[in-house]
Amino acid sequence: MNTTVDLSTPGVPVVALDGELDASNYRALIALGQQLYADGARRLVLDMSALSYMASSGIVALHSLALVFGGHEPPDPEAGWQAIHEVSTDVAQGGPVDHLRLVSPGPAVARTLERTGLTGMLPVFESREAALAG
Amino acid sequence: MRCGGDVAELAGVRAFVRRSAAALGADGAATEDIVQAVDEWVTNVALHGYRGAGGPVEVELARDEAGIVVRIRDHAPVFDPAAAPPFDPSMPLERRRPGGMGIHLVREITDRFTHRPLPGGGNEVTMHLATDSTGGGA
Repeated sequence: MNTTVDLSTPGVPVVALDGELDASNYRALIALGQQLYADGARRLVLDMSALSYMASSGIVALHSLALVFGGHEPPDPEAGWQAIHEVSTDVAQGGPVDHLRLVSPGPAVARTLERTGLTGMLPVFESREAALAG
Repeated sequence: MRCGGDVAELAGVRAFVRRSAAALGADGAATEDIVQAVDEWVTNVALHGYRGAGGPVEVELARDEAGIVVRIRDHAPVFDPAAAPPFDPSMPLERRRPGGMGIHLVREITDRFTHRPLPGGGNEVTMHLATDSTGGGA
């Protein structure tokens, strides 16, 4: 997967994903988000229009990015398999996530979002411009 | 195909499954579903069965009268996916624990998903996916 970062809008980086997001590369995406947050970004736009495949590892990455940009530590992806414990957070329970915005997921990626219940939890926009405008 | 049970090989596994499913007559959407089901299971084997240390994984596709049949074998400790805790897709994002979604996706995608421990050690899972274009006893 190729990742391109567009920093032309101050404070709101746009990360474009091109290719396949799976268990081999999702941690790099989380690390990139953590770096952008550390650099001062407080909202992230993820352009998924060229993402042809997303595994459940990609959902873990989206989950982690939502937490990072909400000001929290991302969960340890391994810990979840060892012990069942909730990610403790004071984020408004069930409230809409606004600091992670998705742009144009294709049909295959949209199906994965749907099947894991993320549709409706993360805002989806038709274009980068729309995601940056709101 | 055989692979070494490493996540770095997942792209190659997906490419193999994509080619094989299409050659067996699955349409585009069914092929993408099969690719995802295999990818999720092989990821589980690599990360949790072999705990990142690698090990043999064998993926085989065939067709029967109803659709595509996938068999995946490994030499990892016996793990029956039926024992995995259920995943609740309605749980708010903030309250989710990571992981647990791969097996959920395999269950969502497949019409039948069975497991058996192999006599010499390891696991074999079988996935059945009905496809329109391979049905009809052609």
